[in-house]
This record gives sequence, structure tokens and C-alpha cells, in this order.
Amino acid sequence: MEKSNLDMSMKRIQIDRDEMAFSEIFDFFAPKVNSYFIQNGIKFESSEELTQEVLSTVWVKSNLYDSNKSALSTWIFTIARNKKIDFFRKISKIDFKEEDIREFLYQDREVNIIEENEAKKQIEKINNELDEQQKIIIKMNFFENKSHKKIADELEIPLGTVKSRIRHILTKMQGFLR
Amino acid sequence: MNGTVVKNQLIFDFASGILGPAKSLFASTYLQLNSNASKIGSTFENMLGENLMDNENIQPKNLKYTDCIHNANFKTTSTIKDPVTSFFGNLNNLKWKQVYKGFKEYTASIDDKDELKLIRMDPGVSVPLHSHGGKEYILVLEGSFCDEYGEYSKGDIQINDQKIKHTPIASKDVGCICLSITEKDVIFFGKYGSFLNLFTFIKSFFKSK
Repeated sequence: MEKSNLDMSMKRIQIDRDEMAFSEIFDFFAPKVNSYFIQNGIKFESSEELTQEVLSTVWVKSNLYDSNKSALSTWIFTIARNKKIDFFRKISKIDFKEEDIREFLYQDREVNIIEENEAKKQIEKINNELDEQQKIIIKMNFFENKSHKKIADELEIPLGTVKSRIRHILTKMQGFLR
Repeated sequence: MNGTVVKNQLIFDFASGILGPAKSLFASTYLQLNSNASKIGSTFENMLGENLMDNENIQPKNLKYTDCIHNANFKTTSTIKDPVTSFFGNLNNLKWKQVYKGFKEYTASIDDKDELKLIRMDPGVSVPLHSHGGKEYILVLEGSFCDEYGEYSKGDIQINDQKIKHTPIASKDVGCICLSITEKDVIFFGKYGSFLNLFTFIKSFFKSK
């Protein structure tokens, strides 16, 4: 599905509480969110429960989404990430609701903090500068939260190389993030 | 690694959601107070959002979109205040511990390997020249302080490691309140472990004086 169609569906949810529009968002994002949880080491049953919570949040709190602050996929990513944090915290018995704080930050963020074009340009620049393998390493490290050791095993490259590549990528990104 | 790299590393780790509760609270306050950090954070989140957009599909087996619309277990959470207030409450009501005259601290009880502390310095108070055991992050919440490396005011972060020796002085007008993270010293195991731990213990004893 096209990005712009997803944005339209989201508007229909926000304005009309349109259930069919929600089913389109669900069909597109639920398998990707489910996959995100599994990539982060969460077992299938739990991943499905968490996916349900994420999509329920999209439905119930749709008015929190602000297209001036972030892309739709970013907003949904942040919800999934927040659920993941609290899921792991629950296991380790830390009584501290991360989701609430992150939600506050999102709402508190000044809309004009990044002009939409500026953000897009920055991301484009970063994407142009990084080669395919560097992008894969970024995804594995920051999106899938795999350990350096695991990345080394999966890509069949030495651990030292992974570490030095991540350091290199981070240094490279410094230049773009200002 | 210079300071900027460490700061951005903190923001990236916060965005990907791998920080422990202490550092996470620290980072969320940093993003709340510092618009530049917030900007870097949201750019990075947008990159991760693109990863989600292009992510592979694993179909949920027993989940339909209607289950998400009619989710009886779904709790809407309460509206909350800023991170520091929701965690510590009113800072004036805390039981601050005086370390020496004009310098107070409050250690959070948080189950984490990193130590989270609030530091309060009266106007013009200085900290004697010192270095650091583990890595230490300091974020200014109110007021300002300066040291040999520059001036730090609300929303600024300073990162210190073993190599840095400094003499911070709180601003003469208002003093300062800071949030700090101290990464705990390494605990040694193995043959010489107990000896090395004893050494660390003795060292920390002298450091706290």
C-alpha cells in the first residue's frame, strides 16, 4: 500500500472513526509490528498480544497522532517500541511506566522543531551516505536490538569488524544530525 | 570518543528502547529540556520508522482488526507530568542528604545497574577538584554551573569519565539542580576477584571523603 493511502486512512480514523480505514492500517502494519517483536526476541504468542495492544492504541489514541510531528510509520514504531520496553520491564519487575513518559514527550514536542522537509532531507542524506551493509547493521543494532555478537554471527563477519563498523556509522551520522 | 558521540549514542539507544530505567529517565528529561537533542531523537526515530515501513511480514495467527477495536483488556493510561516530576514528585519535598555545606544530593531508589541521583548546589558553591570512577552524566535541570571546560545551563549535558578532572562551581545567582547518572564500577570475578573488589571498595571509601 502507498504511504499516502495510509495517511488518508489515518485521517479517516481520526475524523470519522472509520472502521474500514482502520482495517487497512491493520492489514499493513500488524504483520510488520508482529515481526518487530519477534525480531526483538519476543515469543510468538506474546508478540501477538503486544501487536494487539499496539493496534488498539492506534485506534483508541488516534487523535494523538500528528502528521506534522512524524510520519505515521514513525508514530506506530514508537508505540511498538514503548510496549516492548514495558514488556521487558514487566518481566524484570521494575515498576515504572515508560509508555506514559514517552507519550508525554511526543505530545510535548514542539511541532516546528523540525520542518518536515528538513527531516526528510536529513534522512535522505544519511541513506545516501550509508551502503547496504551499513544500513543492515543499523537495522539489526537499533531496530532489532541484536547484540554485536549476534550481528557478527548472522553476517558471518568478525565481532571486531561489527564493533568498528558501528562506531564508523555513528561517527558518520554525527555530521548529518545537527 | 568525544562528548558529542557519547551524547548521540545516548539518544540513539533511547530511541531504540534499550536503555535501563535510570538512563531512560535521564534521557527522556534531556530530550524534554533540550530542543536540539529532541530534534536528533526524532530524526533517528524517523529512520527506525522507515525500518518498520519496509519490515518483513509475519502474519499474526489469531488476530483480526476487530479484536483491536473491541479490546476489553485495553487500559488507557492517565495523563502524566514531565518525567522528573512524575518520578520524584515535588523536589522540595524530597529528603535531601547534605554531603557538605551547600551541596545536597538525593539518590533515587530504582532497580538498575546505573545510579540515578539529583544534585542540588547553593549559589556559588564549588566542588573540590576531583575525577570520576565510572562514567558520569550530568544534566542541568535548573540554574547553571561552570567548570574548566565551559558553562552548563538548563538542558545542557556534561559527560565525565576517568580522564576528566574538574572543579564545578554553581552559578552565583541561583545555584543549580542537576540530574546525574553514574555507571557503576566494574565488579571483578575470578581468581583475583575478591582482592580487586576490596581494592575498589577501599578506593571508593577514599573517594567519598
